[in-house]
Amino acid sequence: MRAIPTLKISISGVRGVIGDSLTPTLLTRFAQAFGTYVGSGTIVIGRDTRTSGEMVRQAVVAGLLSSGCRVIDLDVCPVPTVQLMVRHRRAQGGIAITASHNPAEWNALKFVGSDGLFLGAGQARELLDIYHQGEYTKVAGAEMRTFEPLTGALDVHITTILGTLGPLPPGKRKLRVALDACNGAGSVVAPRLLTALGAEVIPINTTPNGIFPRPAEPVAENLSDLCQTVKRQGADLGFAQDMDADRLAVVSDQGEPIGEDYTLVLATQYVLGKERGPVVANLSTTHALEGVAQAFGCPLFRSKIGEANVTERMQREGAVIGGEGNGGVIYPRINFARDSLVGMALILHLLAESGRSISEMLAELPRYYMVKEKLECPSHKIGEVLKLIRREYAEHQIDLRDGVKVALADGWFHVRGSNTEPIIRVVAEAETAERAKQISATVFEQVRAILSQ
Amino acid sequence: MKPLKIGISGVRGIVGETFTPELVVGFAQAFGTYLDSGRILVCRDTRPSGPMVRSAVLAGLIAAGCEVIDLGICPTPSMQLAVKWLGAQGGVSITGGHNPAPWNALKFARSDGLYLNTVQAEELLDIYHQGEFAKADWERIQTKIESEDAISHHLEVLKGAFDTAAIRSRHFTVAVDCCNGACSLLSPRWLAELGCVVLAINDDPSAPFPHSPEPKPETMAQLRAVVKAGHADIGFAHDADGERLGIVGETGEPYSEELTLALAAEMRLSENSGTVVTNISTSRAIDRIAAGHGASVVRTPVGQAYISEAMVEHQAVIGGEGNGGVAVPEIQPTHDSAATLGLILESLAKSGRQVSDLIRRLPQYTMLKHYVPVEPNLIHSLLQGLRDEVEREGAAEYDLSDGIKISWPDGWVHVRASNTESMIRIIAEAENASRTRDLLDWARDRLKK
Repeated sequence: MRAIPTLKISISGVRGVIGDSLTPTLLTRFAQAFGTYVGSGTIVIGRDTRTSGEMVRQAVVAGLLSSGCRVIDLDVCPVPTVQLMVRHRRAQGGIAITASHNPAEWNALKFVGSDGLFLGAGQARELLDIYHQGEYTKVAGAEMRTFEPLTGALDVHITTILGTLGPLPPGKRKLRVALDACNGAGSVVAPRLLTALGAEVIPINTTPNGIFPRPAEPVAENLSDLCQTVKRQGADLGFAQDMDADRLAVVSDQGEPIGEDYTLVLATQYVLGKERGPVVANLSTTHALEGVAQAFGCPLFRSKIGEANVTERMQREGAVIGGEGNGGVIYPRINFARDSLVGMALILHLLAESGRSISEMLAELPRYYMVKEKLECPSHKIGEVLKLIRREYAEHQIDLRDGVKVALADGWFHVRGSNTEPIIRVVAEAETAERAKQISATVFEQVRAILSQ
Repeated sequence: MKPLKIGISGVRGIVGETFTPELVVGFAQAFGTYLDSGRILVCRDTRPSGPMVRSAVLAGLIAAGCEVIDLGICPTPSMQLAVKWLGAQGGVSITGGHNPAPWNALKFARSDGLYLNTVQAEELLDIYHQGEFAKADWERIQTKIESEDAISHHLEVLKGAFDTAAIRSRHFTVAVDCCNGACSLLSPRWLAELGCVVLAINDDPSAPFPHSPEPKPETMAQLRAVVKAGHADIGFAHDADGERLGIVGETGEPYSEELTLALAAEMRLSENSGTVVTNISTSRAIDRIAAGHGASVVRTPVGQAYISEAMVEHQAVIGGEGNGGVAVPEIQPTHDSAATLGLILESLAKSGRQVSDLIRRLPQYTMLKHYVPVEPNLIHSLLQGLRDEVEREGAAEYDLSDGIKISWPDGWVHVRASNTESMIRIIAEAENASRTRDLLDWARDRLKK
């Protein structure tokens, strides 16, 4: 079998391993291509706390300045802050330097359009064409524009959230929130936001040094420290972020991870309670969301995986809330981006206004159990896997918008190739954990059998 | 043909054309690889492309595993002096030197602060061309760039090397044109330390170059006016990065850049006789001055790296080139206009003489400099043709260590490829103007044939 490459250039951006495939030349070229693509405008950049962030930032700045862009640098900040500031500063685009949930040796560039949204598939293909053609705008020294460090972007982000949702209503006592920022970009802003909302913060892993204290994905198995902190400190809940603070997971007052899918479910519960309207989620997101939307009489639309796809659909449907099952909450009144800070504010408001605990809230929501698996797969074999799975389940109801999603009598599963890594993802959900595992195991075996043929 | 010059003086080109961020990143990676991923200093002059080039250099060096210290806008000699002070393996100066503003360049210094010599520069080029660079992984990569104040350190060293009390007691009035370059941050401070009344012009590092950053009489009109209006004792003109120095006398007369080294050598040898190092293109006045003090002159090919190494080898008391660059070994054996300025003021203070008086006493020659733009791919064959012809004729005395220098008892002419631009330079010198003109025409006609 061919070696699995460490570089992934796709419509999600460019992603690679530091000291290996992600070289400064590649980065500076991509920045030049983007500068060329946006017509040498103002570009907002920011980065997560990865150790390679400084190198990547310098390569990006060189490329942007060379192509005639004015650069506004937010330094370390959440990805959604970059997206928010692109709109706030009326910039022509943004570059977020982050490999989000990938391990520490990775880094990546994600490209934001003038609307604060990640480039859609069509725009991203145009950018890739420019990159590959290699003819970039180059300006002479005298026409070069400025590099401007901007402090205060985090304040703008906090103020925007507070301005839209307000501080928490005064209760009998302050909500006590344990926070695990994974030593990532959330470290520099989440404690301040929570305090500003009127909560009490119990922080762990809030040193923004890029040293991962746990794997970055805020999934249940990575949150044992946070769960213990919640229990030991008797916190009302725990919040966990990933490196670039776009995704959010919740730990209940019992110290149990409730599953990152339920972040969006809780946020939706709050938003629809204030304002009825369409909800958008991707195909892999829990069906518990259908229950919430139905309870409020609101439609739920499903999109392909990927923030760009979700936001595109949200705009089309005029959604009031949307997101993804990986902990990504998109609340367009504040930010058309997956934003863990917005997610925190929505969920704390839900708790404070209802006066109930997370575990009490969960008991009233439809409860599903989800299993997520992945296995390595060279990109060229993904198509074959999908074709055979589709044939295998031909008699079931199948959705082919993104990979293969199959509806079973008592659950569903979804198989697709990742946009960011050479892997196949298998997601299965059912009303019991046992059944979910059973579905997942069956499909997983089928995929593995196909791959080993 | 678009101008790009990759050679022993570093890599140089026009931003927006050939001097691209990829090129700069590649050279920075090569240099980081060459210095085994050690500590490296980075400084820049004030060109508007400086921030872009700086970011590209930082990205390349950090990716190659270097520990970078950023000195910000700072003269090249301040960086060179800081290499030893900060225990660095080397340094990169981002400066087009005397080239016009659209140009930029990288100049590479090694662990003693001196520029890479020819052999080292060729090794660096080999690494660049090979394209296999050291790469730091995520656990080793530098996460934060530190900065240091190399200019204050330079000032401390300068203060310790000259008789500042003698200079202060004279309360000189000094006009200085910093060309809005890196010396804007050094020279006025240094003059104030020396108790001078400072008449500084073009000392805003955020403003564009007011004129070509080459300190020669053609660029000194503003400075002359300030010297006259302010009744200054002397006027100094800087290039963009603090290597070359031009002088205007108290009369307002601008002197040829050739006279900077001659004046400095005369002053230095009067105090302390010893070897003088200069290149083969510099005025014979240097030989006469040295002979007057019983000192010897060592001639090198053109280029600072040669001057520096010869100064170390021969323990020279002064060195420099005819372009206004002078090296004072008490500070460092590399061109340093702040050191040159200190030497000149110290000598003026001690002798009690005026500049115009000292200049008048220097041996008088007429020098003419001419250049012929040539396509880069033709330079070397043109020079070879001339070399063959001179060898065949065998009449005059000639030196082939750098281009062709042909000498007669009453003058000489030197034809060579520029290290920095796509051109052939012709320099002729004789005791009077008409003979100099003849020598220049002689060489130019032969090149055209």
